[in-house]
Amino acid sequence: MSHSRALGADKLALHGIVLAIVVIAEAIGVLRIPIGIAAVVLLPMLYAFAMGIAINPNITRATARVLTPNVQKFAGAMITIAITPFVAKFGTTVGPQIEAIIEAGPALILQEIGNLGTIVVAFPVAVYLLGMGRETVGAVYSIDREPNLALIAEKYGLDSPEGAGVMGVYATGTLIGTFIFAIMPTLIHGMGVFDIRALAMSCGVGSGSMLAACTGALTTAVPDQTDLILGLAGASNVLTYATGLYVGLFIALPLTQWLYRKARPELY
Amino acid sequence: MANVENLTLEIETIDERKVNIGETAALLLVACAIGTMANYVATGVGALEAFPGMAILFLCSVAGLIMARFVPLALPSVAWVSLFAIVITIPGVPGSAWVVEQAGKINFLSLATPALAYGGLALSAKEFAIARKSGWKIVIVAICVMLGTYLGSVVIADLTLRVFS
Repeated sequence: MSHSRALGADKLALHGIVLAIVVIAEAIGVLRIPIGIAAVVLLPMLYAFAMGIAINPNITRATARVLTPNVQKFAGAMITIAITPFVAKFGTTVGPQIEAIIEAGPALILQEIGNLGTIVVAFPVAVYLLGMGRETVGAVYSIDREPNLALIAEKYGLDSPEGAGVMGVYATGTLIGTFIFAIMPTLIHGMGVFDIRALAMSCGVGSGSMLAACTGALTTAVPDQTDLILGLAGASNVLTYATGLYVGLFIALPLTQWLYRKARPELY
Repeated sequence: MANVENLTLEIETIDERKVNIGETAALLLVACAIGTMANYVATGVGALEAFPGMAILFLCSVAGLIMARFVPLALPSVAWVSLFAIVITIPGVPGSAWVVEQAGKINFLSLATPALAYGGLALSAKEFAIARKSGWKIVIVAICVMLGTYLGSVVIADLTLRVFS
């Protein structure tokens, strides 16, 4: 069983395709496109994702013979596995920065509350600007990655309006999240208002690829602070891994429900 | 196109207590091999030179999986993996200087590239369909959500850093 799963010919083909994509993406390398005071940073992981989508059998029919639904499912499992060494690498940047991290400790802990910013920014937009219904609750209560999706699935079921909201943001985040997190931090850094340590620790949002894009962009913008940026971002990401689910369950989701009842009392 | 009528994602809530460690470790080796290649193309650091660093990352990953499997604490394996990697690199811990030096030969961005390649290939008909069907409103909300979590943290962190320094 385990041999057939790990070493089947179709799975080897998948790894081969990934290897080819990765080599091409890394050969292109990091590109900086200056726009005004800031710069848009294009990272190899973005090209890799784009190439993956281009070859995806739902886009290019020709690959469907190799990339069967089973192999695609396996590729989904490989995401989690392939991101693990990256997470480990991030951990090794935290230890050497431990003094800077302890010094920034209060900020590091308090900025976890900032993850409720999803509600502050997205709730009014969804309810008042776009006139959305109960989808809002699932959509805006968190950044809607896997653990948050699981929480909504358990509370409402994914076939509920709340479930549609969380799945919509999840799917959109999967498609454009890396891109957004590659451009947003550099633009905000370009405003020249915020401490680089604040920009770095905010990268830890609990998603490996968003963390990678965010820190990739920041270290390209401020290369002489690379170690500090990675250390703080890594520490913050670990905190989010540990606290994210509980903040969602006990604070963010009840708060969003309460706000929604206040905003749309007629629907309850 | 697969069954687009029933647009509910089957989320794989992977129960980390049921993970087959041997199989996952084998797949981790594959990921590390691809990561080594990515690192070589990006930085010119050869496989032999990168080997100790890569081996450290691999061992942290496996140790994290084992902890998530056997320790009765609701911590995901990535949290354990991070903790191991942090502890062995804290100054003063025996061998930490060597570990930091070896891990320093691995470019962190190169390790994210394979995961995103798998990610692009893994997108299912359902995920495309959900993104399409959710429409432009959800795209706007999703961007606001990402902006909100980042900016919210930045503002609080920045203010706290000012107060405490």
